[in-house]
Amino acid sequence: MSLASHNPTTARPSTSAVLLRQRRGWFFGLTGDQFVKFVFQSNAAISIVILGLITFTIFRDAVGFIPMNRQNLEIYRQAGLEFTDLMRLSVTEHSTLVRYLSTLRQQEVGRLTQGLGLSAAAANQQLAVFDAYTERFTGAIAAHEALLSTMTDRCASVKERFTVAEDMRQAKQTLLNGMRQAPPARAASLKQAAEAMQIEVIDFKAEVAPLLALRPAVVAANAALVTELRQLSAQLPSFADAASQARLAKFPGYLTQYLAELETTAQRMAAWDQAKPVGVFESLNAFAFGRDWITASFWQDWYGIIPLLTGSLLIAFMALLIAIPLGVAAAMYVNQLAGPMEQRIIKPYIEFISAIPSVVLGFFGIAMLGETLRRLSQMPALHWVPGFPIAERLNATTAACLLALMAIPTIFSLAEDAINNVPRAFKEASLALGATRLQTMIQITVPAALSGIMAAILLGFGRVVGETMVVLLCAGNRIEIPNVGAGLGVIFQPVHTMTGIIAQEMGEVVRDSIHYRALFMVGVVLFLISLLVNWLAQKIVRRYRISIG
Amino acid sequence: MSAPTNTPSSLFGRPTLAKRVEQGVLWLLRLSTYFVLVCAAFIFIDIGWKGGSVIFKTSAPFINVPFLTEAPETLNVFVRDGQKITMGDRAFRQYKAAHEQQMKGAKVETYVYSAGGIFPNIVGTILLVAGAIFIALVLGVLSAIYLSEYATDGAFIRFLRLSIVNLAGVPSIVYGLFGFGLFVIALNFGVSLIAGWLTMAFMVLPIIITASEEALKAVPKGYREGSLALGATKFQTIMSNVLPYALPGILTSSVLSIARVAGETAPIMFTAAFVMRDELPWQVQKWTDFIFQGVMALPYHIYVVASKIPQNEYTRDVQYGTAFVFLFTVAAIAMTAILLRQRLRKKYQW
Repeated sequence: MSLASHNPTTARPSTSAVLLRQRRGWFFGLTGDQFVKFVFQSNAAISIVILGLITFTIFRDAVGFIPMNRQNLEIYRQAGLEFTDLMRLSVTEHSTLVRYLSTLRQQEVGRLTQGLGLSAAAANQQLAVFDAYTERFTGAIAAHEALLSTMTDRCASVKERFTVAEDMRQAKQTLLNGMRQAPPARAASLKQAAEAMQIEVIDFKAEVAPLLALRPAVVAANAALVTELRQLSAQLPSFADAASQARLAKFPGYLTQYLAELETTAQRMAAWDQAKPVGVFESLNAFAFGRDWITASFWQDWYGIIPLLTGSLLIAFMALLIAIPLGVAAAMYVNQLAGPMEQRIIKPYIEFISAIPSVVLGFFGIAMLGETLRRLSQMPALHWVPGFPIAERLNATTAACLLALMAIPTIFSLAEDAINNVPRAFKEASLALGATRLQTMIQITVPAALSGIMAAILLGFGRVVGETMVVLLCAGNRIEIPNVGAGLGVIFQPVHTMTGIIAQEMGEVVRDSIHYRALFMVGVVLFLISLLVNWLAQKIVRRYRISIG
Repeated sequence: MSAPTNTPSSLFGRPTLAKRVEQGVLWLLRLSTYFVLVCAAFIFIDIGWKGGSVIFKTSAPFINVPFLTEAPETLNVFVRDGQKITMGDRAFRQYKAAHEQQMKGAKVETYVYSAGGIFPNIVGTILLVAGAIFIALVLGVLSAIYLSEYATDGAFIRFLRLSIVNLAGVPSIVYGLFGFGLFVIALNFGVSLIAGWLTMAFMVLPIIITASEEALKAVPKGYREGSLALGATKFQTIMSNVLPYALPGILTSSVLSIARVAGETAPIMFTAAFVMRDELPWQVQKWTDFIFQGVMALPYHIYVVASKIPQNEYTRDVQYGTAFVFLFTVAAIAMTAILLRQRLRKKYQW
């Protein structure tokens, strides 16, 4: 915006014009009007600046996560925790099998006492063979458990010492930093204090050596376990009842599976390399595909987004499943079928729904909806519904119902706009050809508005995924990947979400810690999702413009 | 909208299958629409009924004045002479001092935030909203003037519009993270009004820009051309012939964004809101402290009393009371905006 752009077209400007121009060029070499324009323009640029600032701020705080998590994983490996967790895998898998057996026993006892009217003692007597079998099976892992406990103690103490040393190192650094600004006398005492701090340097190789020395013992225990389990697999007891027997007959299959897993675990333990470095990608993958979000644990912290992402997506899709039919139906009804009076009331009313604060909806979910749903699920007449009766008052469904109510106004207004924008001629032509209103609507109007409706749905999805308070209050906040094994009952499980975890944990984390940065990483994911949704919606809308012509 | 085609069926004999299917689907659509309306109404009625019984009294002055004018307190519950007495913290201390003998060894149960009122929260919310809207209006209206009056299509404008659309889609919690990372930590404002103002102002900015631009574009071109033809500068034209006519529309949209700002919790959770604070916002040493202080806010208070404290029979009143005040204030603002806009649309049809 220099004066050059104001160049008059005449070759020789008149004297008065030159004088006038100079008198007006007061503000930083701009004329008055140019200056005003510049002010407005720079103001408008604020939106760009804000988007840039948001991107910069959250990325700056998030990026540090990758090296920090890399270090976190490196310690996990070097201190032998990874090795120990491999061992733990064998033990936990085994206890899953034990649980299976005890469930079988429970069912069998139930059948004997309630179904056949036997006394508890008699039932126990019938199950004596089975109990002996279970006992032998449980005992088979004892050697592993003993080894695991030794290993756990060792690793935990190594890691603990490392953490203490790390804290001391930081404290010393703080002292030394403080020394620079302090007056000489104080600086001297600070220096003394800093030098007095004994920081242990941990030689992971030496510390973990005893752990690795256990390898032969592990191999021996494995061999013993394998022979024992093979024998057990052959000596399976039997139940009199056909159904129970069928369930029990599945056990050797599971056992074979377990033996195969034992084999791979043993191989991984043998091949385990303490010195193997952790790469940047491994660190990022641990976040992007990590199945655990465990913080402030004495053993190992994991920052995997998968449980949160699945929780968010589960809730969002459920909410859309409710909101799309209702929102689009309402848009179709209001735009095409409702009388003018109905239109005048319903449109502002639905718009008004979007003004309900999300925290109030969340409170309503806690105080009213959750309890109502649970009561409903306990009615015997409804027990055929999968997942009923609901165990938890606050679960994915509670949150999804309320989120649907939030998404409906968004979907409704945008879809209604899209339907409204379909040229009148389309509809009139169809009606003139003798189609009924319904046929016109379903075959002409809605397909013509379809891309607009799709964009509406996408933006509704964006709104639902980014919503915080409702999910924080109503989703149950259990950090776990929804268990698909429960069939449709998965929708009644409590879940945690990306927005919820930020809101819940941000207030309590130490600044610049790995946890703090992990939360910013989650924020980055949310940010990227919102950009993606916007981009898709715009793309669809642009296409839609062309299709109408 | 098409005229109803309810021709008497006697004219055409029995309704055809298509007609009957149409009737069925029509009713299905009608029912889904009304189902949504009923669900929303149910929430209003539930909170209106239960919260209304906290706020309104059957005897004069008909309104629970202490609830609206006092700060939240801890509730003390104890049994005396076989009677259960409930008392707020301040009253309880006086009572305890007066009845030292009787209170010795008495078992007192305490429930946080269950007594007193929500006055500081109301004040805090008003301050937060006022400041955020002021900042957003100034920035937003100026941006909208640029977009509608000056902008010519180009890379800059396209990028600008892209930014605005994308800003509108960013989740509120990400704004909260951003405000926390930038204002609270990097700029070291601490948890403060100013951090909350800026965070929320940036959050509603896209809404205000879009709505203001719409209002400015609705002013007929002739108004501008007439003014320019008479020799006014562009700025004079905007000030005298465009803004005054667009102002009602701009203000209406800003009322709607007030509702949006007031209703949000996530952006202020870590930027401006305190769970509990004894001083009221104007009890500060010097004026700079005013903008660098955190405040209590209604939505955050609802969150805290609904999920962070142990639930019992005594928390219920404060929960529903707060939700009532909050919901109906926001709803009233939104209603005003929607009604105003409807009237405006009718009034200004050039």
